[in-house]
Amino acid sequence: MADKLKPESEAEKNSSHNPSRRRFLKGVGVAGAGAAIADHLLLNVEAKEAGTVQATGARPAAGRINLALKINGQKRNVTVEPRTTLLSTLRNHLDPPLTGAKLVCDAGTCGACTVLLDGKQAYSCLVLAVDTVNREITTVEGLGSPENLNAVQKAFVEHDALMCGFCTPGFVTTISAYLKKNPNPSLTEVREACKGNFCRCGTYPKIFEAALAAAKSK
Amino acid sequence: MKAFEWVSPTTVQEAAELLQSGSTARDMDEHARPIAGGQDLLTTMKDYATRPVRVVNLKEIKGLDRIDGDARKGLRIGALVTLAQLEDHAVVKRSFPGLAEAANSVATQQIRNLGTIGGNLCQRPRCWYYRLDEAYCLKKGGSECFAVNGENKYNAILGGGPSYIVHPSDLAPVLVALGASANVTGASGKRVIPLEKFFTLPSEGSIRRENVLRNDEIITEIQVPASPFAAHSTYLKFKERDSLDFALAAVAAAVALDAGKKVREARLVLGGVAPIPWRVPNAEAFLAGKTLNASVLAEAAKLALDGAESMGKNEYKIPLTQTLVRRALAKVGGVTT
Amino acid sequence: MQQQPSKKKKIKVPRVVDGIETMVEIEVDDVEGPVWGPNDKHSLLNHHLQRVDGPIKVSGVAKYTYDQRVPDMLYARILRAPHAHARILSLDTDAAKQIQGVRAVVSATDEGAAAPKDGATKQPVVLFAGMPVAAVAATTPEIAEDALRAIKVKYEVLPHVVRAEDAMKEGAPKVEPDGNLEPKDKRGDPEKVAADLTKCEVVIEGEYRTPIVHHACLETHGHVVDYRGGDAATVYASTQGTFTIPGDAAKTLGLPQSAVTAVVEHMGGGFGSKFGIGIEGQMACRLSKLAKAPVHLMLTRKDEFLFAGNRSGSWQKLKAGANRDGTIVALNALQYQLGGVADGSQAGQPYIYNIPNSYRERIAIHTHEDGSRAMRAPGHPQACFAIESLVDELAYKIGMDPVEFRKKNLKDPVYHRQLDRGAREIGWERRNKTPGGGAGPLKRGIGCAVGTWGGGGNNQCKVDVSIARDGSVTAAVGSQDLGTGTRTYIRAIVAEELGLGMNDVSEQIGNSKLGRANASGGSTTAASLAPSVKDAAVKARLAFAERAAPLLGGAKPEEITFFGGTVRAGGSSLPWKQACAALPAAGIVAHGEWVSSLQASGVHGVCFAEVEVDVETGHVRPIKMVHVQDIGLPLNRLALESQINGGMIQSLGMALWEERVMDADLGIQLNPGFGDYKFPGALEMPELVPIIDDEDPREAVIGVGEPALIPAVAAVPNAVYNACGVRVRDLPITPDKLLMSLMKEAKI
Repeated sequence: MADKLKPESEAEKNSSHNPSRRRFLKGVGVAGAGAAIADHLLLNVEAKEAGTVQATGARPAAGRINLALKINGQKRNVTVEPRTTLLSTLRNHLDPPLTGAKLVCDAGTCGACTVLLDGKQAYSCLVLAVDTVNREITTVEGLGSPENLNAVQKAFVEHDALMCGFCTPGFVTTISAYLKKNPNPSLTEVREACKGNFCRCGTYPKIFEAALAAAKSK
Repeated sequence: MKAFEWVSPTTVQEAAELLQSGSTARDMDEHARPIAGGQDLLTTMKDYATRPVRVVNLKEIKGLDRIDGDARKGLRIGALVTLAQLEDHAVVKRSFPGLAEAANSVATQQIRNLGTIGGNLCQRPRCWYYRLDEAYCLKKGGSECFAVNGENKYNAILGGGPSYIVHPSDLAPVLVALGASANVTGASGKRVIPLEKFFTLPSEGSIRRENVLRNDEIITEIQVPASPFAAHSTYLKFKERDSLDFALAAVAAAVALDAGKKVREARLVLGGVAPIPWRVPNAEAFLAGKTLNASVLAEAAKLALDGAESMGKNEYKIPLTQTLVRRALAKVGGVTT
Repeated sequence: MQQQPSKKKKIKVPRVVDGIETMVEIEVDDVEGPVWGPNDKHSLLNHHLQRVDGPIKVSGVAKYTYDQRVPDMLYARILRAPHAHARILSLDTDAAKQIQGVRAVVSATDEGAAAPKDGATKQPVVLFAGMPVAAVAATTPEIAEDALRAIKVKYEVLPHVVRAEDAMKEGAPKVEPDGNLEPKDKRGDPEKVAADLTKCEVVIEGEYRTPIVHHACLETHGHVVDYRGGDAATVYASTQGTFTIPGDAAKTLGLPQSAVTAVVEHMGGGFGSKFGIGIEGQMACRLSKLAKAPVHLMLTRKDEFLFAGNRSGSWQKLKAGANRDGTIVALNALQYQLGGVADGSQAGQPYIYNIPNSYRERIAIHTHEDGSRAMRAPGHPQACFAIESLVDELAYKIGMDPVEFRKKNLKDPVYHRQLDRGAREIGWERRNKTPGGGAGPLKRGIGCAVGTWGGGGNNQCKVDVSIARDGSVTAAVGSQDLGTGTRTYIRAIVAEELGLGMNDVSEQIGNSKLGRANASGGSTTAASLAPSVKDAAVKARLAFAERAAPLLGGAKPEEITFFGGTVRAGGSSLPWKQACAALPAAGIVAHGEWVSSLQASGVHGVCFAEVEVDVETGHVRPIKMVHVQDIGLPLNRLALESQINGGMIQSLGMALWEERVMDADLGIQLNPGFGDYKFPGALEMPELVPIIDDEDPREAVIGVGEPALIPAVAAVPNAVYNACGVRVRDLPITPDKLLMSLMKEAKI
């Protein structure tokens, strides 16, 4: 069944750092009917790889790019690649990093990396950092501090809505955003709002309690 | 995820040309791809199922994020309209309820906040063989659909072969039922494609694609015509795990009833069971002129699954889908069963 | 404190090695030690205490291993083999090394790499798809991933087998040189059982299967190895055993064990899978040593599914007979445990039941799959599901109330008490009188099941409680908090002993430079650690009392009481801080050891579940679950309730959704992600009722992580049967299975 699995040459084929691939990428910019328009949209690839470039608004980019992001009300500069997710940017590229959003599934299936984009819940593992310029990014750290918890965080502590705590930041951001949209939810609505977040220790019932209590406390 | 080049054109024309010029690689999975919400594209890129050399961001293009129209004129939905926008839209909820339900049924709030109508229609299959980097399947240029002799519990019972994926879109069955069409722009011009003709069976179109879009083409707008049945539409989705899952089976149903509660016109489209949204004209024809009751629903359900075949582990989809057909029709027909 | 030379006594305690619990005999002092006192007379313990690490966890400030960032740190990734069985012919890392930003590459073909080798050719072999074969460290995670894909490996693919049925066949590819069947144990007289079975009035015979399921810890396995060359290293680890790390890491780094410090500040779940540094830790250490730079190597989610362990599957062929009066007479059990390249585990039948005549044989079947590891109550849910399904079937066949039937065959009165309590809480009388009966497609049913666990401790924990002159109090021990609330009860024990509040005490844990502690496996942590903390706290109190006595009118130290932040004797009292000012500059440090009388072992546990089955779709909706658990002295009722909930929920997942799906032909796992490996989420939650059985008179600490998980895995399927009249003997009960069974049995 060897032939059914990935071809052996795949490693070579898939490496973006392979020299032949690099030449190919360069050729892309001037090929075909889009050449005229592409000329002004695409930067010179060699230049891109030599150093970092700015990527603001509609300017195209590859290689390492500088971004200015608005995170928790602050402007943060960071250098990443177009493929770098917002989650990886927060955790691995920002200095100092923001590690509240957790990397758990990296596929939009668990909710632990949930942040708010312009106030709305988003999986930061399914958003590219380059795609978040000009958006307000809020992480769990931006919602409250240990000394000054927001209502949801406070209710989580009071109702024991966490055990290992690895899913907790995602639930906190999700519920904090949801209660802004619906300040007085029913249990059914809370469950529905939480369905994109998964906990393995089994804290769901306490999370529901905490969410309802937080809504009441406001 | 493989490195790529990021471009944010501001017009549809520019985007189409960037897609075209970025699609010269021999392997079509390396061709340039458009990104809107990215909620599916990025997952296929992380799995290396697609490895585009260029990603063309559509969100800087103005005017594609609006919902216009009403029950009388029909809807014009920009391709960048998010699923969250759709499910919350008053006109959609009131006059096209099936569409609002379908949007609401997608994944989770996080995904619906970013995922768009255009992206939802252009999703790639969820078949685990397709998604696993290790399995070099038919959809990725290999020579075998592993589902045939493998774990095919989630695969197609209708319209399959030689690939047996099921189409993952929740919006597609409803939009097909409502007679919607897509406005499409490519490098060499525009065209309007009825959604019923948009999706392609693996035996018809390219086995490595699920629709007729050329690589330089972008959906810009979905048009949903006014119809007598749009207001009586529904979408029932059955999931293995309610919290987050794709459909094991789904049914979009819409009926127009006359004054005597007889069916004037019915639309019935199945989801999660075929490589395309699966319209069942024979069941629709059967329903015309009937008064909906238990035996009519049962007969329609039977007709709807005409020709369905088990691959070995997905036989359950037949009775399951029949149940959903009965329940969807009962709901839109106001029948208590 | 000077202790009297004492008598010794021998006791048996559980010890966990690599997550596998074994009983060992140890010698302990046979003296009157400290006591907890009555369970209902505590001021902090046995109350609802908020988690002390709650505020830093809910605000994202708590640093897990995954979150550790040290200067110049590299990110590492692991390359896995795609084949279930293969020989590695060559492995070329040159292209990977040339990628800008790549700093080190290690592989299974390196000199001294810990990889299984072919006996004849000495070439590294792959024994399951997903086995690690190489790793790279680079300046960003993105570059590390590119480097993986630039590594070229040539495999000679060998025949594989991943299905137990296939592995038993003659001529099947061999996983082990001696064959794929490995007998484990036999107990009883099969002929006598067979003879008795022919005399039984009612006989049930069935095959029961549970799939391989995954721990799915949200924080994956991994380490941050902070080593830059030189003579010392710090290893941050996501582990259930702080002290399982330094030895392994030191060996790989080539350092003395004392030069390696393990740090486990917070960890994101283990459930039995995280002991020792593992292959990933070895690779991280090798990369760090090679690059002379710190390395962050946390598994990806797919890695975690493919090579970080699982709960072994089971395939049990049971035949039991009973008399019409409800007495089970005989049982024959053939128990296959399906642990892939490992042995798997399974509690021996007849599990908790008192059956006069039973025979069981346990056999491991090996396949080319990642080896199983301990997982929360290893072996128990598998055994519980089979026997509790069978018992249910017998009860229905005889026409007896399943609760009464169980009571008739369980001697221990605690089970009777807990069954009655659970039945009351769930409303047992509401169960479906005729399984499958009732109008309409939505049918409700109730089921129950019973489990057991040990939960005792051992003598490995050494705790220091120190009181400083400024009044601050610290309890220090190297133990780890898996999310069970260890930090919180450490604080509570000390605070209660000294009459202080929770915020007056701090704890230091998760560091191998602190007092030794056992690894957290087998529900042994609380029963090992809490007695040592108590011992240290009592000694600190007595030492403090001696110092404070002169300030309290020369009271005798043992007459001094500690309460409400004051120290009192006779008529005089002093605020805590004022009393502390009398301490010497070094303060007081008291050292605590394990006191066996402060803990106990042996718990029960009963679960009742109510579900609603849609017989036209096969959908099962959990409605309500009740779990009754005895536990001796509950240290923290709030955390305990959470842990019981968690046990029920994980067990529910195993009953209804979770399973590893393998492709037999390709030999690969098809669902190594949270999209396709479906564990329960918010919408799957029933109403959950965790009940602490306060009628347990023991004034002793017992672990409760495992027992809370066990019985639900059978209670839920029994409820499904009661609802719809269909018995599914093959977990999980997914809609496809249930709907087809309903159709086959013409229930719709």
